[in-house]
Amino acid sequence: MKRITQRPLPVLLAILLISILFVLQIADNAQLETDLDEYMPSEHPAFVASDAASEEFGITDSIMIAIEHPESIYNVGTFDKIRELSEQLPEVFEELLDEDITSLYHADNITGSEWGLEVGPFFEETPESQEEFDLLREQVASNEMVYGSVVSLDETSTIIVFPLDEEADTKTLEKELTEYISRYEGPENIYVAGRPIVEGALASLGPADMARMFPIVMITMIILLYILLRSIRHTILNMVIVLLGTIAAFGTMAMFKIPVYSVDTMIPVMLIAIGVAYGIHMHNTIMYLVRKNSLITKDQLINETLSQMTRPVVMAAITTAIGFSALMTSQVLPVRYFGLFSSIGVLSEMLFALLLFPLSIRLLGVPKTGRKREDEDLELPVQGKIKDHRWTVYIMNKGKLITLIAVIVAVLGGVGATKIWIDTSFLANFEEDHPISVTDRFVNETFAGTSSINIILSGEQPDTFKTPEALSLMAEMQDAFVEDPMIGGAFSLTDFIKRMNFVLNEEQDEYFSIPDNQELIAQYLLLYDMSGDPETIAKVVDYDYQKTNMTLQLKSDSSSLIEKIIAQVATYEEDFGDLGITITYAGSGYTSFIFADLLMEGQVLSLGISFLIVAVLLTLVFKSMFIGIAGTTPIAITATVNFGVMGLLGIPLSSATALISSIAIGIGVDYAIHLIEHYMNRRNEGFSISETVNETISHTGKAIIFNAIAVMGGFIVLTFSVFPPNRQVGSLIALNMVLSALGTLSVLLVTLVHLDKKHRLPIKTAAANKE
Amino acid sequence: MKAKRIIGGLILLIATTSLYAVPITGEQIMQNVYDRDTGNNMQANLRMEIMNSRGQVRERDIIQVSQEDQDGIEKKLMFFLSPADVKDTGFLSISYPDDRDDDQWIYLPALRRVKRIAAKNQNDSFMGSDFTYDDMGTRNPNKDVHTLLGTTMIDGQECYIVESIPKVSNKEFDRTVTYIVKDQWYGLNKEYHYKGEMVRELTINSLESINGIYVINDMVMENHDKGTQTRITMSDVSFDNDLDSGIFTDRQLKMGPRF
Repeated sequence: MKRITQRPLPVLLAILLISILFVLQIADNAQLETDLDEYMPSEHPAFVASDAASEEFGITDSIMIAIEHPESIYNVGTFDKIRELSEQLPEVFEELLDEDITSLYHADNITGSEWGLEVGPFFEETPESQEEFDLLREQVASNEMVYGSVVSLDETSTIIVFPLDEEADTKTLEKELTEYISRYEGPENIYVAGRPIVEGALASLGPADMARMFPIVMITMIILLYILLRSIRHTILNMVIVLLGTIAAFGTMAMFKIPVYSVDTMIPVMLIAIGVAYGIHMHNTIMYLVRKNSLITKDQLINETLSQMTRPVVMAAITTAIGFSALMTSQVLPVRYFGLFSSIGVLSEMLFALLLFPLSIRLLGVPKTGRKREDEDLELPVQGKIKDHRWTVYIMNKGKLITLIAVIVAVLGGVGATKIWIDTSFLANFEEDHPISVTDRFVNETFAGTSSINIILSGEQPDTFKTPEALSLMAEMQDAFVEDPMIGGAFSLTDFIKRMNFVLNEEQDEYFSIPDNQELIAQYLLLYDMSGDPETIAKVVDYDYQKTNMTLQLKSDSSSLIEKIIAQVATYEEDFGDLGITITYAGSGYTSFIFADLLMEGQVLSLGISFLIVAVLLTLVFKSMFIGIAGTTPIAITATVNFGVMGLLGIPLSSATALISSIAIGIGVDYAIHLIEHYMNRRNEGFSISETVNETISHTGKAIIFNAIAVMGGFIVLTFSVFPPNRQVGSLIALNMVLSALGTLSVLLVTLVHLDKKHRLPIKTAAANKE
Repeated sequence: MKAKRIIGGLILLIATTSLYAVPITGEQIMQNVYDRDTGNNMQANLRMEIMNSRGQVRERDIIQVSQEDQDGIEKKLMFFLSPADVKDTGFLSISYPDDRDDDQWIYLPALRRVKRIAAKNQNDSFMGSDFTYDDMGTRNPNKDVHTLLGTTMIDGQECYIVESIPKVSNKEFDRTVTYIVKDQWYGLNKEYHYKGEMVRELTINSLESINGIYVINDMVMENHDKGTQTRITMSDVSFDNDLDSGIFTDRQLKMGPRF
């Protein structure tokens, strides 16, 4: 390392070249992965079942177009629009499938007249007279299969539902569709809703907001760094380290043709926090050495800096990198890559910190110490002369209090963490007055709901779902569901049977039920096949009547609702089991829910593994198990409190917020190693415990606090974002930085002192006895 | 609406030797196909195998009687023999040669009632199969513009290739190509095209001659768009039976296939 620094230009050139190569790789190969399905572990049984059922019953995400007329939809203008939109949209937008569209224009109206049964669309040509409209109105109002779901109860709105091609790019569709639809406005209001629309808006809003906010974050951080370091040179070096580290991470990613997932936006965040830490430690040591000996030569300074800093920086980086690689145990692919490439970034930053600072001394000379500041004397470790920091006094005397506070905070954090919830809701990401939220609310209030879940029932043998027993139980469960105000509607095979039974028995109310006769049910189904559109039935039951699909329309896409539904279904599990029927689920709302569960599970597991690895590495590095445990404690507290605050403030766990806790590890390891290293060195040099504490606080403590302030200050800017998830990310990063710094400077230091007093630290005997 | 001949269409017809020496036109070919003698009445057992895109098959056995009277009114009576849970479910239809809608009744034995059901669009699926009502009848040639594209050999028989473009556009096909056996006037193959793609294809697998009338007893309609297919096979075909005049009534519907 020392020899390398003697040839600054070739080294700089090499770094520059490699970075340019990486940048070219990124420009060539990097591609953003926005398709959420790519995140899902497709071999997981829940996903396999959902995919199979989705294919079998044609379950897709849907786009909903709601048309609202100020008075009533029953007029020529509105009906022309219903027809035009139903017919034209699938032609203009290939992503919208032409089949299985639900609208007044498409929906099968099962009606009985005095002479028989009729199945057909509500209208084919726009009615011309008021009488025709009145007749249609009556038909709609008397058909429970559409009234309230296709036409609103107040008759001012109607909806067209288009199934969406799986491959559709929701981001562009959302934009183009919203624009296209606007030409149909007036006097009607037209709304575009549905999960894909929200997903699309989210995919464009989040990154756009981040792109707007990130420069402000960086500028704030640069200003803070300059104020703290009072060195333009070192501020720039800090940012260069972060930049090169990030380029290295994304460059290798591009080189291996691994797509950039949205969670990877957390990689730069991590690399900023850690890179700045390395930079500040380097800065601190260099300035310390210069102040100690103002006549120090370039060579001496470089040698001294490297001999003091190589060990802690390398140890910190390697420990962090190995800790991150624990994320590779996750079942979720992007999380695995996040762990891998964060590690690569951290190791690169280590290398750049150890190279660029010495090189800058070589090229630009020994940095000036600048104006003398009052507290400067404190940094010089002259034994017995320095006044104790107030903090040192606390550490030395209030160890028990600090421990107690830490325990209370940790317990509170633990309690809060039990309240943590996973939310896969896309909608929760928008402000209440955002057009997306407004539309969604309107559609949810007016119709059955913008979200859905599919319950798949599978019998042991064919014709299970022709039996009155199975159908009645289904109907019972379905009736219970629609009692829930959050469930706007339920749709299954039972609706067809009930409606046919009703219509073919002269619309007598008592026949709006499942008939207790399997042959009759079979004959109704045959009759529907002969009179209706067989594809409609194919959406609710399979060919052998062995498997059936019940769709619940939900007024919220929150995970808690899905959880509640699954719990409610479980109460029927035994009854269905008696009939040989098993229950699975399908649909994107469900798979997101399961995915979130996996994410959480994997996150907790990999965090746990990270802790273990870090503890073992610290033990090995400092040759003391006590240090291993002590060093890991602040990290554990930080992570616990991080989850606790999320739980208490109702910040849901998402793929982004879940990864923020890794900052606790990355930064925590760094802080711990520098602090312990400094402490042990001073003690071995013969400083007393209190002198060591005092000196460690003014040296390493300062670096830690500077790092925490700069990074926290930068990311706190994100709390001014217009995009709620980015606000959450910003405040959680700030929280983790504060907690890591505080934890290290209090809990870790108190523990070290305690262990030291008990002679549990590997300190040379001469120094050990000095209190 | 043109008269529907659900069964009539299955029996593509008899040889009427061409007397034309002059080059034949597409129009004439299709008119000859339409004009074949189908006998007075017909009785047959029909097996319908409907296969969905997942390869699952629904089988239905049907017995049917059909008759066309002098006015061109076609009456048809069908009963399901299997599956067991729909056995004896009956279907009666009367099609008129003019634009009147068909009359259709169904009898559900479990409900013990005859119900009238609404006339279907000609392009709707016939009993959930890949055949449409239109396919099950013989399409009146004046509904399309026909062009003779040429001739080809299929299984050693010389066939005309006729392209037909519907005069009134529909969403199922905008062009059909039919392969018609020269001088026999039955089709061996029919392709349905929509927007430049072949969406459905009818293939005749075998024919037999009964009382001098050619009967297609095995045919498959493939829906390339949906990946589904329906096979219809016929057995016990007989023509010109001595039928009770009251057979095409709701009374017979309730009695079931006992005639």
